[in-house]
Amino acid sequence: MENALGIWGPQATFMAITASFTVLGMVMLILAILMKRRWKPTYAFEFGFIAVMIGLVFYADWSSVNTYSAYQKDLNAEERSVAGNYTGEGEEAFDRVITVIAFQWGFAFINENDEIARNAAVVAPGETVLFKIVSNDVIHGFNIPVAQITAEIDPDEKRELWIRAPDEPGKYLIQCVNYCGVGHSQMKAWLVVQDDAATAQIDNMGDNSNDNA
Amino acid sequence: MTTHDANVMRLGNKAHWKPENLVGSMSLKELLFSNDYRHIALKGIFTALIMLAVGGSFAMIFRAELTVPDVQMLGAKIYMTLMTLHGMVMVFGFLIPLVVSICYYLLPKVLGTERLYWAGAAQWSYWILIVAAVLLVIGRPDFTWTAYAPMSFRTGNSLIWMGHLAIFLVAVSEFLAGAVLVRNAFSGKGGWKNTPLIAWATGSVGFLFMASTFPLAFIGLGLLGDGLEITAFFDPSRGGSVKFFLYVFWTYGHPAVYLPFVPAIAIIYTLMPRFLGYPMWSYWSGVVAFVLLALGAMPIGPHHFQPLYTVSGPYERFVQFLTLLVFIPSVLHVFNWIATLFMKPIAASAKRAIPFKFMVMAIAFIVYGGATAFLNAQIAPDSDFIHNTYWIPAHFHAMFVGFVAQMGIAGFYFLYPYFTGRMYNQLLGNVHFWLWQVGLFLQITGMFVAGYLYFPRWVYDYLDIPGWATSQMVISIGGYMVGTGFIFFVINIAWSARNGKPAGDDPWPVIHDDKTAPSATPAE
Repeated sequence: MENALGIWGPQATFMAITASFTVLGMVMLILAILMKRRWKPTYAFEFGFIAVMIGLVFYADWSSVNTYSAYQKDLNAEERSVAGNYTGEGEEAFDRVITVIAFQWGFAFINENDEIARNAAVVAPGETVLFKIVSNDVIHGFNIPVAQITAEIDPDEKRELWIRAPDEPGKYLIQCVNYCGVGHSQMKAWLVVQDDAATAQIDNMGDNSNDNA
Repeated sequence: MTTHDANVMRLGNKAHWKPENLVGSMSLKELLFSNDYRHIALKGIFTALIMLAVGGSFAMIFRAELTVPDVQMLGAKIYMTLMTLHGMVMVFGFLIPLVVSICYYLLPKVLGTERLYWAGAAQWSYWILIVAAVLLVIGRPDFTWTAYAPMSFRTGNSLIWMGHLAIFLVAVSEFLAGAVLVRNAFSGKGGWKNTPLIAWATGSVGFLFMASTFPLAFIGLGLLGDGLEITAFFDPSRGGSVKFFLYVFWTYGHPAVYLPFVPAIAIIYTLMPRFLGYPMWSYWSGVVAFVLLALGAMPIGPHHFQPLYTVSGPYERFVQFLTLLVFIPSVLHVFNWIATLFMKPIAASAKRAIPFKFMVMAIAFIVYGGATAFLNAQIAPDSDFIHNTYWIPAHFHAMFVGFVAQMGIAGFYFLYPYFTGRMYNQLLGNVHFWLWQVGLFLQITGMFVAGYLYFPRWVYDYLDIPGWATSQMVISIGGYMVGTGFIFFVINIAWSARNGKPAGDDPWPVIHDDKTAPSATPAE
């Protein structure tokens, strides 16, 4: 499934690089302890190794910035020259816009009809969703594992992120990942993906949700 | 000075001093108030081990809660208090004081000064930290060690000001410790080109201590003032700024992880040539790495809150790039250690020595935890599964426990015959060693897996999502193995102080022939 950051490829590459460096280090250490043959590396060997590392630093920086810029470009669909926070002019590029209030302790989701739902965001399968997030008390996190995206929300500022909803209908976890007080563990919500999202009744989400519609 | 003499001095592969029964001969008054460097160091080391027992038992309690989903025994408040105290006690009370105290012991010996300059400051540093620890235990803060504003002064706990004051006192204590480390780093006689690597380490990290504790002191006082509504630095509801808090805090918070890290590296550079009987692979490679690490530490703090931003702008990209560059000094160190191990045959006496074993495994864990930092540094994966999931505790437990704590323990086993006059018990030492290696590997790997599955940090209760409960179970099993290993360690050091085999003039002779290598097992 396509995720918000679209980083499956680069991420797999970097996981592989990380794993091979770990294995390389371990193997060298084991050989240094157990191998009969002894070896005194030259400085040239170390410089070569460092040169490879510097190459990886440039590659990682380039890849990360590319990935995030591509994501950001979609966020600022109509206003591509604007860096930083979303300015509100490209909202029509998204299928759905949801305002999120993160509070101690929970999330309130306000849809385009000004209907408010606590701890449940209802969306249709496969559509692009823009979340405009604010916090009115302390620093919170906003993490949607299925979309592979995390944001940290500072009470001074508004923060936007977008996702493409999963194609499979169901309930997907939304959680706070920044410690925000004793209720942090309970600060969870659901991304509810259902076909008739536009007219959905969301009072079947258990105790944690209600519906003003 | 010939090259050989210079190498012996700079790289310290000779026996510097003789064992003595220091623990048996000192009075309580000497231990508490004497300015002799050995007394100050031993006081610091043993206090740190008590802190390890305290912080570790907190972990044992909340691990029981986390092993399976749902709430069994701990509520949110008590869980978070234990978690906060676990973090603060372990970092400020155990890791930093342990490795710094070992450096207090090693510096005067390795540099040949036989005294700790500015010992009075070290004494004050110790006692101020004790006051801070008492305040933390009475105040019982539950705001985690990062104390994010404005949450940390809105906890509904009327004693929370004690936590803020403790943060300020920790800053004062660490500043004094840094001053002592810098002063003593400059006390060597051979000039800066001949000074041992431990002096380069403590000199560079001492400056880092002194510079980075100013932001921490400001955070402590600022939170105290904001909490009592005297000031409004960090409270957005009264005109303060949360971003200001984040930048100031992490200007300390990132160097803070190097404060235990660099002295632990210094212990490797001191122990490794002693056990192998030949100098390190490269002196200047080590020096350059220490200087680069100290320079890189302060500007990269903002990588701790990368997902706060919607885009990688020039400044965020600069921070990301510098963070990635921290790889270079770390790799220089690890390369140096592995190259040194490769150079000549490793003595049978070294392979048998418990501190040497801990040192080798500490290098393995720094590779494990350090390589994953290559992912953490990048904004894109950090904005996916890394930021504040269990991936982060996995990374810093590998670095802090797998590397720093294991090097502290290696340093302790190394010094043990020097201050007790007796050897530890080899069998108990081996049991401790294996319980820790297997336990730490399970614990850290379990945390990496949980983090990859988006298990959030700082929760006492969690949903039964596939993989979550299993990884928590693995972490708990690993954690309890580490706890059991610590019990064997305590039994070993208590029993061996009276009953261990008496140490010879050089407790760590380099012996290649396997049949004559000394065994630390006491003659019954």
